[in-house]
Amino acid sequence: MSEALPMRTVKRIPKFLRRADPAILTAFGCIVALIIVGSVYSPSFLSTDYLLQQLKVASFLGVIATGMMLVILLGQIDLSVPWVVAGGAMMACAATAYGPVAAALAIPFGIFCGTAFGTLNGFGVAYLRIPSMIVTLATNAVAQGLMVVYTGGFAPRDSATNAMRYLATGALVPGVPNAVVVWALVGAGMVFMLTKTRFGRAVYGIGNRERAAYLSGVNTRRVVLIAFAISGGLSALGGVLLAGYASKAAQAMGDAYLLPAIAAVVLGGTSILGGKGSYLGTVAGVILITLLQSILSVIQMPEAGRQIIYGVVIISMLLLYGRTPSKG
Amino acid sequence: MDSIPLFQMEKVSKRYGGVHALEKADLTVEAGRIHAILGENGAGKSTLIKIMAGVVMPDEGRMLMKDQEMSFSSPAAAVRQGVACIFQELSLIPDLSVADNIMITDPPKRFGLIDRRKQRLIAMDALARAGAEDIHPAALVGDLPLSRRQLVEIAKALARDPKILILDEATSALTAADVEKVFAVLRRLRNEGMALLFISHRMNEITELADTCTVFRNGRNVATYEAGSRSENEVVEMMIGRHYSHVFPPKPRAAAIARRPALECRTLSWDNRLKNISLSVRPGEIVGLGGLDGQGQRELLLAIFGVLRGMDGDIFVDGQRVSINSPSAAKVQSLGMALIPEDRKTEGLMLPMSVRDNLSFAALDMLSVRGIIDSQAERQANEDMLRLLAVKTDGLNGPVSALSGGNQQKVVIAKWLMRKPGIILLNDPTRGIDVGTKQEIYQLLRRLAEQGAAILYYSTDYDELIGCCDRVLVLYDGTIKGEFAGNELNEHALVASALNVDHDMGRTRIEGPSS
Repeated sequence: MSEALPMRTVKRIPKFLRRADPAILTAFGCIVALIIVGSVYSPSFLSTDYLLQQLKVASFLGVIATGMMLVILLGQIDLSVPWVVAGGAMMACAATAYGPVAAALAIPFGIFCGTAFGTLNGFGVAYLRIPSMIVTLATNAVAQGLMVVYTGGFAPRDSATNAMRYLATGALVPGVPNAVVVWALVGAGMVFMLTKTRFGRAVYGIGNRERAAYLSGVNTRRVVLIAFAISGGLSALGGVLLAGYASKAAQAMGDAYLLPAIAAVVLGGTSILGGKGSYLGTVAGVILITLLQSILSVIQMPEAGRQIIYGVVIISMLLLYGRTPSKG
Repeated sequence: MDSIPLFQMEKVSKRYGGVHALEKADLTVEAGRIHAILGENGAGKSTLIKIMAGVVMPDEGRMLMKDQEMSFSSPAAAVRQGVACIFQELSLIPDLSVADNIMITDPPKRFGLIDRRKQRLIAMDALARAGAEDIHPAALVGDLPLSRRQLVEIAKALARDPKILILDEATSALTAADVEKVFAVLRRLRNEGMALLFISHRMNEITELADTCTVFRNGRNVATYEAGSRSENEVVEMMIGRHYSHVFPPKPRAAAIARRPALECRTLSWDNRLKNISLSVRPGEIVGLGGLDGQGQRELLLAIFGVLRGMDGDIFVDGQRVSINSPSAAKVQSLGMALIPEDRKTEGLMLPMSVRDNLSFAALDMLSVRGIIDSQAERQANEDMLRLLAVKTDGLNGPVSALSGGNQQKVVIAKWLMRKPGIILLNDPTRGIDVGTKQEIYQLLRRLAEQGAAILYYSTDYDELIGCCDRVLVLYDGTIKGEFAGNELNEHALVASALNVDHDMGRTRIEGPSS
């Protein structure tokens, strides 16, 4: 009975604060702090244009981090992001070479290729019981090899379709970049899946205690397989958006997204051990990482210093979260 | 025996939470004798051993070694004082050599590096004392058969030059022939003047080996006697003693449950842990599984629920042969099975998740349409369950870890009752929960049976089996050794059958083709 006491004391805190994860509040607090620091350096930090531009850049990372979050909630990791991003982008662009019908199907084809890589990951983790760290790293290498074979190691010649460019750079609603809309749709779908579906419950259950979930009659292997497939598909979608943004795919275009995706998910309060976390936190993490990268480049910090500060910030924030008790 | 005993324990007590694991226990160990410790599940034997080996600290009482008071703050301290322990689970590392394993805690060193030559000599000496000269010290432990590994384990203990050697169920993994070899070594060690403390669930081993026996019951030592001075029947009586009694709901008369079985198993076997088990449970019947801990009861329940791979034998549900290869196959509506697992913290619940998420986790397929959860139906079902089982909780949204143990167990049961299962398998559901909740669970089980559920119920508490079950099957070493019902269902019969001792008070029947 004594265990009920802490819950009573928590009740004195206002409801919206009590329900919010301290990690998410910290992340949003840091975002505000970064904007303030940036605006001291240059007033244009507070302009709508700059912030919308940042949101657009963030949406590429946001789509990729969405898939990463799903996998991390299971207590796994997806290290195949770099070349699944590049593979999705290259395959979507490659479709343009096969006539107008293929070009129209470029975006679904790119996502399909990413989903296939993700399914490979999921099969290895769920059915072959290989640790996800190993199997996704191997998939990354396989994807890299396939792409090098396809391009001959040079920059791919195909360019992005108009649809891809429109998706990444256009604005269906004036003032709101389409990329942000795509991220919002992906995010809304994820929130719905995590909170309203059996699949979402199963993901949290497996992340917390796989054995209990299995003994409750959840087909744990299928859930893990699907989660990795979704992660692969979203990585590829991120690649498609990036290719549309840059008008073409490029070698190593996904390399810059692995660590930020993991960092964004974990900075947003999702437990790296799985089972706990909300999508709002991932949104906060993505924006935080994007702003940090932007500010470091705007103040013209040399590349080496940028990397060091970037890494130190991530480590120190993770240490900070590691100290907070798991029960809020 | 006027000389000072080698080791004495006086009024040692140990509590876990509110439970007395040991209460003012005394024990005297003499050099040059094999001392057997007997007792039921939970009588305090393993706590006693852990205190002697320095694994846990006693709450009160004192220990004397040759009249010198001492306390073991750690297993290493116990080893320095001359107490070495061999546990049921082998502690060897299969990828290291025999010599490395024997000297693992304190290898001989030269210039800060392990002196391999010296290590090998010490290991050879220890192996010789353990009667295993033929094992090469450089052999990998993983390459040795089980019985040889047990000898290496003994050599490892001997290398620490103990005055007292404790063997906790150390023979349970061995075959009869290997046991003989180990026993010969133990007798020689005794004759060399070592004191041996021996725990076994096999009565015949104790009769064969022990010089002195001490019986434990409910955390106290109730009797110490010279081996052979008491009959097996007397020993069983001492182990049972008098118990506090629970309040059990009345049992229906046998006529009420004479229908065809809801669940039937024929010749189930698995990995040498289950051997040819046949049983049947009828609707409205509570069938108990008894016997000492770890005789295959858990495996049996898991096997029926489709968790174990590579199982032989057939399972019939309502007369239809079924093949169940996972819990998700076992819980489908047409079979209607539910398993309340052994450990609620790791198998029954996702502790950090909310009461709501845990309650409806197993029944989500019934509460959702095309994978989307009907939150209205979910809340309704959850509230019904909380009311049915009278779960005390602050609300559905708090983490289930904030509930007391008894209420957590109710949530585990409720999450399966939500499916209205026809076959309910329970794996020791009352362990570690308070008496009040236990009684609620007994009444609930009887009510479920009256509504037509077939219940298979494993419990480590003999009182429960007698008070709650219509029939009890006693397992021993993976087979059903006895079946008891009506007047034959009493504690004496259960304990005797669990120890595989023949006696005259309850006739032991052996069921199925295993006879």
